Amino acid sequence: MSTKLKLSGADMLMRALHDEGVDLIFGYPGGAALHIYDALFRQDKIEHILVRHEQGATHAADGYARATGKPGVVLVTSGPGATNAITGIATAFMDSIPMVVISGQVASHLIGTDAFQETDMIGISRPVVKHSYCVFDANEIPKIVKEAFHVATTGRPGPVVIDIPKDMTAPDNLFEYEYPKKVNIRSYNPPVEPDINQIERAVTELLIANRPVIYAGGGAIASNAEEELFRLNEILDAPVTNTLMGLGIYPATHHRFLGMLGMHGTYQANMAMHNADLIIAIGARFDDRITNNPSKFSPGAKIIHLDVDHSSVSKIIEANIAVFGQVKNSLSAIIKLLETKLDQYNKDKLQPWHEQIKNWKSTHGLNYELYKNESDENPILPQAVVQHVYNITEGKAYVTSDVGQHQMFAAQYYHFDEPRKWINSGSMGTMGFGLPAAMGVKFAFPNEEVLCITGEGSIQMCIQELSTCLQYNLPIKIININNEALGMVKQWQDMNYGGRHSQSTYQNSLPDFVKLAESYGHVGIKVEKNSELKPALEKAFSMKDRLVFVDVYVDPAEHVYPMLIANHSLEDMWLSKDKKT
Amino acid sequence: MIKRKLTLIMENKPGALVRVVGLFHQRGYNIESLHVDPVVDFTPYKFIENELETKFKDNEISRLTIQTLVSDSLMRQILRQLNKLIDVIAVSNEETTYLKGVLLDENLL
Repeated sequence: MSTKLKLSGADMLMRALHDEGVDLIFGYPGGAALHIYDALFRQDKIEHILVRHEQGATHAADGYARATGKPGVVLVTSGPGATNAITGIATAFMDSIPMVVISGQVASHLIGTDAFQETDMIGISRPVVKHSYCVFDANEIPKIVKEAFHVATTGRPGPVVIDIPKDMTAPDNLFEYEYPKKVNIRSYNPPVEPDINQIERAVTELLIANRPVIYAGGGAIASNAEEELFRLNEILDAPVTNTLMGLGIYPATHHRFLGMLGMHGTYQANMAMHNADLIIAIGARFDDRITNNPSKFSPGAKIIHLDVDHSSVSKIIEANIAVFGQVKNSLSAIIKLLETKLDQYNKDKLQPWHEQIKNWKSTHGLNYELYKNESDENPILPQAVVQHVYNITEGKAYVTSDVGQHQMFAAQYYHFDEPRKWINSGSMGTMGFGLPAAMGVKFAFPNEEVLCITGEGSIQMCIQELSTCLQYNLPIKIININNEALGMVKQWQDMNYGGRHSQSTYQNSLPDFVKLAESYGHVGIKVEKNSELKPALEKAFSMKDRLVFVDVYVDPAEHVYPMLIANHSLEDMWLSKDKKT
Repeated sequence: MIKRKLTLIMENKPGALVRVVGLFHQRGYNIESLHVDPVVDFTPYKFIENELETKFKDNEISRLTIQTLVSDSLMRQILRQLNKLIDVIAVSNEETTYLKGVLLDENLL
């Protein structure tokens, strides 16, 4: 007689999630997921967060994953539940965030009959998932869950969908439950340890470089490589730049940090990249927002590229030395070899390079003390809002953001000294990401300061989650940088379309955000003058147990600079509205 | 643009083929011809079994051949993207083979 536990498909799913270490899922119920929701009700190991829209569930799980490094878990129903989740799945996919999304599906015998709330979730999600599973045999639920988490979290991380037809979770069909201890997917074998020959070649180049730049991105964060990166640069003493996705992997307040590079990167970061003789790319993928015109990219540099994903290397910029493996392991291997050759390396030779960078920084670097020149004669500068927020939170907060000018200002002016504290939709550029992502972070770290720097455009794309924040008492701080327009769209229209603001303003139709926040049970504060700004922000952050929505009206004419000039090299930037390099 | 032939050994599972085809379509590469069969004779693929420490069973894997028109640089990218698909065990063009992330300098399929 078997002593194994007998459970329904839905109960097996809950058990498997628990056995996988999941204690929190974000979701929204519906017909095809009701067996699963009943199993959820009858257990007490996993907490479920009821969002107000499935997009919110995916972004919240995504924020949770980015802040913790653990996979985010989402549960939605079929049809509209599944399709509403797609934007969030795509966001996680584009930024390589581990996530497991469980979607209900109509019963097996109804698939293909245009049944109520039927949609081909596997088909619709295919281009934006790392992998997906449809359950055809309830017996396989534990194995599929185990595999899904393995695929989502190993190699280059990404979202995995498990689509479960309703009959697979029926309460009266019982199965022997056993959670697999190991995963073996014979056709899946992401690289971990680097090839030692490539490490030797990389080290040889590092030793002789005169103008090296370390260029680290989101992959270095995904691989938890901050200690290795720091150690590497204790040896090299090279300038370091981070991508938008990589901010925090190297301390922003370190004197060797150049700031972010790329489209809205700092002058010195872009200049250093362009004039380097060696670029060591660490978990970064030469995205089009980084390279500008690839044929003019960094003409004199050799490229060492460390990545876990074969298809990311030599995709845009040809690598001279490709190192495949977990970048943490590759960095360790480089450090180990470098440490045996310290007598061949003299950091003093980089002095002319550091002098050059210092010169760039002092001529066109960002002014981090804009707030010191505030007066009520002038409108509020959005950059200064971020500077105040940085000062008040002492640079220690988790900062989520939405997409647009406010996102770039946050990336430029909030100095992240630790990884996983800057949470934004980099590659996908998903407006509406910030608030639900902040919820996910707050659930993960209830005692930490979590704030969302957003704009009046983005916040309205997932504003419904203010209700979720009330239900679960999430004292997030929302800093709404309100320029009464879709600022980044407007900036492009100013620069490239003769100032024709096609559909980028709202014609006085914005809601009263203070009343809106209050109607959801939160605190709202409106700021229109420079003299009110700092006290209002201080007041907001002093209310530890309340969600505070600070609506700051800023100068609508302000643009984000520097800005790369399209199709040129990294040396070619707009530095202000009328000045370019 | 040169006509090229790719050969894949992959898991014979629902959805595996459409992932391969989708990858071409998504990037705008046209497929000139495509052929897929379950593998019955495993003899030529002993080296895969040895490498992956597995034993293929009947109907478990498929052999897929695709002809497509692409440039050299795209070819490498396609191989790497195909290699990344979870259900793909090995993929080769005329000169190289990817066997689960390991690049080998000949067509072994």
